Amino acid sequence: MTRPARNHLRWTALVAVPLLLSAIAGLQTRIDPEMDSIAPQKDDLLLRSPSAIQKMSLGYDSLLADIYWTRAVQYYGARFATKGATFPLLWPLLEITTTLDPHLIIAYRFGAFFLAESGTGGPGRPDLAVELVRQGIASNPDEWLLNVDLGFLYYWRLKDYQSSASAFLDGSNKPKAPPWMKMMAARVAQKGGSLETARMIWSEIYESTTDPKIRERALDTLRGLKALEDESKLNELADEYQRHFGHYPASVNALRSSGLIAAIPVDPDGYPYIFGPDGKAALDPMSTVVIPKEIKDPPKSR
Amino acid sequence: MSTAPVPVALNTFREAVRDRVLYNLIFFALLMMGAAILVGQISIGIDRLVIINLGLSAISLIGLVMAIFIGVGLVSKEIEKRTLYSLLARPIRRWEFLLGKYAGLVLTLAVNTSFMTLGLAVALFSVGRPLVAGDLLIFIAVYFILLQLALVTALALFFSCFTSPMLSTLFTLGTYITGCFASDIRAFGELTRSPTLKATTRIIYYLVPNFHNFNVIAAAAHGQRIPVSLVGYNTLYAALYIALLLVAASAVFSSRNLK
Repeated sequence: MTRPARNHLRWTALVAVPLLLSAIAGLQTRIDPEMDSIAPQKDDLLLRSPSAIQKMSLGYDSLLADIYWTRAVQYYGARFATKGATFPLLWPLLEITTTLDPHLIIAYRFGAFFLAESGTGGPGRPDLAVELVRQGIASNPDEWLLNVDLGFLYYWRLKDYQSSASAFLDGSNKPKAPPWMKMMAARVAQKGGSLETARMIWSEIYESTTDPKIRERALDTLRGLKALEDESKLNELADEYQRHFGHYPASVNALRSSGLIAAIPVDPDGYPYIFGPDGKAALDPMSTVVIPKEIKDPPKSR
Repeated sequence: MSTAPVPVALNTFREAVRDRVLYNLIFFALLMMGAAILVGQISIGIDRLVIINLGLSAISLIGLVMAIFIGVGLVSKEIEKRTLYSLLARPIRRWEFLLGKYAGLVLTLAVNTSFMTLGLAVALFSVGRPLVAGDLLIFIAVYFILLQLALVTALALFFSCFTSPMLSTLFTLGTYITGCFASDIRAFGELTRSPTLKATTRIIYYLVPNFHNFNVIAAAAHGQRIPVSLVGYNTLYAALYIALLLVAASAVFSSRNLK
């Protein structure tokens, strides 16, 4: 081939390749909606039996566990905070992950968190979360952090304070368990549903977790608990006000004017609390603080 | 337009037939026969579904193996057997030779795929489900498989122009797998909080050949509607990508010192 012909071909390629690539990218944007219309995102697990997958993994079970764990996180992340989203494959994915690698502690810890969250945050299955963490404890008997998670699940999600106390106590006997676990066990057993205990547990979670999402959740809950505590105190003061003046205070200012409080109390967002006609303290509508549903409307203790 | 690639294409096809490449059809026939007999015994109500899924998947897989393994040898075999030198001594340019080789393999794949589609139709007939007008979807799926195979062949040919057959196989297979997971790669990037990763996965998504575009096997098996516009878009997509790869392959092959 002659040199000019070769150069000509080279130049043609240099011009044509970028042009064709941009045309291809443009075309892909038209193909995407067409493909979505014929193949709606349908999640499925072809093989749901963890033991069958383990047998088929040919010794690469820990690698496969990592892949399944990544898939579980992606699955959860794609649905998290999406209105109307359901999580039917979350449990099977976690079950497969932990069967393939029973020592993947993170899968038990975060998996339980994912399973227990309700509303748009998760499937709201604390029972499955407890089962997952129990499996984790059985496979990793020295891992005290799993006991913390189990104690938390019983305390916060299931309001089963006796089981929660015993989970903390079991964990406190494990090597490397921190001393506060024994204290927590005693406190939960004595004052199951108290706000102080709840705050103590969430504070521990906030301090011990490295995951930003869980940390954020713990901080939100702590802010909500603080507001709940404030509201409870304000309600008591409003009752006292009513006894003195024959009616409930119209605002927190009225409480201050009467001398019952020295300063206007504000919520963690900085907004003053308000009073309803029934004399109950509430958050300002502008406030972003959310009072935890689990405490505000607690189910009956077992 | 030059007709020089035509004899090269026909020779490539004849060579593939001589090399007993089409013997894979026997395997396909046996697979379809076995499936047709077995599926009726062990399943209820999904025999048609299984036959279509199995048949289309086998057409795709067998074609893929052929496209990769024959594709990577298209150029290297000619160099190894030294037949390329006598060929290039004739009035044929290098890009015409490449185009002929490419067309020859695509013709082989098209013939092979046609026979396998016929086998699929026979298998469907044997389970008491002859092809009807609605089964046009199966032909669309087969057409998309053919487009996919043509694209894989172009990839294999491109890689074989500058590297060994072994590496070409690995590169082609790697690109194919990446292309099959292109949507997942993008979805993975979307889930991260890193804008760099998000942008990178997006670029990968648009640059790698997106083989997911051609996968309508499940839709065909379930009788889902496939938009006509998708047929047009996919044809254009494959044509553009193949053109890109052939231009790049020609530029690389023309610069190569064959002494």
